[in-house]
Amino acid sequence: MTENVELNMTSEEFLNQLPELFAKSSDSRISEDPRYARILRENPTCAELVRDLEYIAEQARMLLEPENEIEPSPELWSKIQNSLETDKNKLD
Amino acid sequence: MQVQVQGMTTTNATPGLFKRNPPIAGEAEAIEKAKNGDADAFSKLYALHKRRVYTLCLRMLGNVSEAEDMTQEAFLHLYRKLGSFRGESAFSTWLHRLTVNLVLMHLRKKGLQLVSLEETINPSEEDAPKRDFGSRDPHLSGSVDRVALERAVATLPPGYRLVFVLHDVEGFEHNEIAGMLECSTGNSKSQLHKARLKLREILRQNEQAMPKQEAAK
Repeated sequence: MTENVELNMTSEEFLNQLPELFAKSSDSRISEDPRYARILRENPTCAELVRDLEYIAEQARMLLEPENEIEPSPELWSKIQNSLETDKNKLD
Repeated sequence: MQVQVQGMTTTNATPGLFKRNPPIAGEAEAIEKAKNGDADAFSKLYALHKRRVYTLCLRMLGNVSEAEDMTQEAFLHLYRKLGSFRGESAFSTWLHRLTVNLVLMHLRKKGLQLVSLEETINPSEEDAPKRDFGSRDPHLSGSVDRVALERAVATLPPGYRLVFVLHDVEGFEHNEIAGMLECSTGNSKSQLHKARLKLREILRQNEQAMPKQEAAK
């Protein structure tokens, strides 16, 4: 299948295309895509860059886990209630 | 495709976001009651979503005081607009979108509206990531914890931070981000890439500084 053929490009071309490649790559796993195996094998610097950027994206996804959420100050709810009360009084 | 969300039938237009924002027990009932002016039900909605909304604001703004103000604004807006929620997406998706729009509006009011956002979200040359991929420093994998990443994200230039938080953390697609930020899809992709490069740079600097700090102790 042509989709799995290793692409022939220089490291500079690869780096220039990286934003688009990440956008196209499902779950941003360029390192596991056979089309880029050769360029990554032959360019350790590109391989490290890709691995780091994939790692950053992976860690970022984990920030959405509920245990990583931050609690606002307890006073915030009182402020919201006061504002709602003010709104209500204006309408009355 | 239609799915049942806590007793409501809704169209599953964005399955990815439903996966990321699954329905919460008791939420649908609280929404219906809050729509009818039930203060306790609104308080429940606040309790269910305050952490998520505040964290989103904090990550987008990188500032505790502004994040609290925007969280307050988001819940006041929610109270006023709750009647218009029709269940076409998960409630949390709807609320987060509402929050994102409010934060972006706030940022535009602060000055970003004067020039095209496409230009203003580009940081100065000093803040831009270096295009130096030549040095072979140790890679990051396995060495960055959540706190380090959160800190690094907070130090990103605002434009990079917005795109990174919206795409990599919140899971919005580039076309959605382009719509929100009024920029091109290509610009969103390029900003995200620069944001990740900048984060890599910050995280590697922090890692290199760490042994020196340890030694100083």
